[in-house]
Amino acid sequence: MERKVKVYIPNRTMKMGVWVWYEMFNALVSNRELIGRFFIRNMLGKYKQSIFGFLWIIFIPLVAIGTFTFLNKSGVMNFGAIDVPYPVFALIGISVWQLFSDGLSAGTESIVQSGSMVLKIKFPIEVLVFSSMAHVIFEFTVKIALILISFVVFGYKPSVWMILFPVAVIPLMFFTLGLSMFSSLMNCVLRDTARIISLGVTFLLFLTPVMYPLEEGGSQIMRLNPLTALVNAPRDLIIYGHIRHFADYIVFSVVSVLFFFIAWRIFYIVETKMPERI
Amino acid sequence: MSNDLAMKAENVGKKYCKNLARSMMYGAMDIISGSTGKMMDSSLLRKDEFWAVDGVSFELKRGEVLGIIGRNGAGKTTLLKLLNGIFMPDRGAIKIWGKIGALIQLGAGFHPMLTGKENIYVNGAILGMSKKEVDSKFDSIVDFADIGDFLDTPVKNYSSGMYVRLGFAIAAHSEPEILLIDEVLAVGDVSFRRKCFKKLGEMKEKGITWILISHDMGTIKNSCDKVMFLDRGRVSYMGTADQAISEYYCTVSGDGTMKRSDLAAGSAADKRTGITGVNLTGAANGDNKSFATGETINAQISFVSEKRIDNPVFGIQVMGMDGIFYFGTNTKISGFHIDHVEGKGTVSIKLFDNGLKPGLYRLRVDMHDRHMGTVDLVNDAAYFSVKGGAFVGDAMFYNRHEWGLA
Repeated sequence: MERKVKVYIPNRTMKMGVWVWYEMFNALVSNRELIGRFFIRNMLGKYKQSIFGFLWIIFIPLVAIGTFTFLNKSGVMNFGAIDVPYPVFALIGISVWQLFSDGLSAGTESIVQSGSMVLKIKFPIEVLVFSSMAHVIFEFTVKIALILISFVVFGYKPSVWMILFPVAVIPLMFFTLGLSMFSSLMNCVLRDTARIISLGVTFLLFLTPVMYPLEEGGSQIMRLNPLTALVNAPRDLIIYGHIRHFADYIVFSVVSVLFFFIAWRIFYIVETKMPERI
Repeated sequence: MSNDLAMKAENVGKKYCKNLARSMMYGAMDIISGSTGKMMDSSLLRKDEFWAVDGVSFELKRGEVLGIIGRNGAGKTTLLKLLNGIFMPDRGAIKIWGKIGALIQLGAGFHPMLTGKENIYVNGAILGMSKKEVDSKFDSIVDFADIGDFLDTPVKNYSSGMYVRLGFAIAAHSEPEILLIDEVLAVGDVSFRRKCFKKLGEMKEKGITWILISHDMGTIKNSCDKVMFLDRGRVSYMGTADQAISEYYCTVSGDGTMKRSDLAAGSAADKRTGITGVNLTGAANGDNKSFATGETINAQISFVSEKRIDNPVFGIQVMGMDGIFYFGTNTKISGFHIDHVEGKGTVSIKLFDNGLKPGLYRLRVDMHDRHMGTVDLVNDAAYFSVKGGAFVGDAMFYNRHEWGLA
């Protein structure tokens, strides 16, 4: 009887060549339950021993929106004419944006945060990155409910194409996961990574048309930012019923998905060298 | 052919970096070189790197128990992490047949805020159990961990005993075919340890293969089929428990006060005051390292004293390699009065019909002044083994005896 053998050699995943893809997908599928468990673990751990619990998911966007609405109304910042009530516009924008910003921050911290576990139990490390994304997706669904409530409150009627909203954010998730694959490993070596990321994400919020609209024919430089297309496309679906810079969106979506797969593959190779550096 | 093997390591090596800044640099370099697909040859040492595990090879058959002993920092835990797959080797290859389970730290992976119940499911999943599997073993896990009323309490409020019991219970129920244990059983109280060993015994009967790291030589000797003595990352000896333990003690004592060979060779004779050597002889003159149970052992303790010491007291203790203190006495307890010593001399003691069971022993010798202030103490003045001779069986010691019938 042939028994299954596991072999550990240096740079194993690199020497596997294309077979590594099979192993990567296989590992992802067979570990789906573990990803779910980690997701529940994170969630329960985060909201326990807290009075407001899950309400924290909506507090932060609400405070941000309140601030920007105030800035807009008082004339400190003028965002120009928007076809929708500004709070609704901002709420959709920040909800999508946080998929990226929270996803990247959580993904970057995911491995180091569970460092003691990584060093003591054998399990596929990529599970940590995937489950941190799962957590952010969960928070996103809560925010979708908040968006729907805001429609009622402001008496706004969205386009029927809103049903594609959850699908339209998928490229952004791939982009975020791809970046997290790199940054989470980098954070094992250099703790500065997490700080640089959180600083960078804060500035990116101002450089990306999230809280303010992307002006038609406006700055071309802004359109080179992949986040511009990836964040605005889902919102366009709700407001306009179509995606305004559709070509941009398609290009950056394809790039994001390819980027994710390359990042995942590199993660699988480099990951073998990282636990010892945590 | 190699079908009954559970594990095979070939020239396995793992390197660490001593310098944190360099370690960070090498890590960043590894990420970059890994990204470009040109991972450098990891079998070369870069500056400030050293081999923490260096060229370890062994084979382990199914159902065998391997003990790993060695000093702190000898590379035991690193080796275990390599075998577990937490670290990847930088050199060599490890082959594993069967599902592996590791107890490197009990309760690692517990989330302090989650309840015991929630942690059972999370930890079970980490150890590769499906929800269904955990469901079916849940009662048995809770029963073993004995945490009944605290099932819905966050584990941060658990006592450390409850914490490790739960950790062990989950790991033991994940049904590994190869189990790696790193000293974890040293925690917990006596009844917990007994319970663990009972469980491990049951698992062993089912043909599970173990690797056990321990500083408790009793555990090693009782549990292991073969023992690896690891010294500075290399396999210094691999073979029977007795021999490995003896090698270990000899090496360890090399860092201590005096080496056995030093005493024997008399190089410690340049001491001004103290014990300079111990010579053991049995019934058959010649082999002074091995005796039979029931044989009379003579010990000659040589000493030197620069100044006159009035009413000195000499003592000996026979220590087993299992850590048990078997026998000890001194001249004062025995009522053997020594008026004074000065210069060189020899004290002798006859251990009539020694009652020691077969095994390895270490002789501790000490010398005191009349107020029992220690003048000298040699922890490992001599090593000797006891084999054969009068029947002891599984008993603790042999008692010289004579039957009668009236």
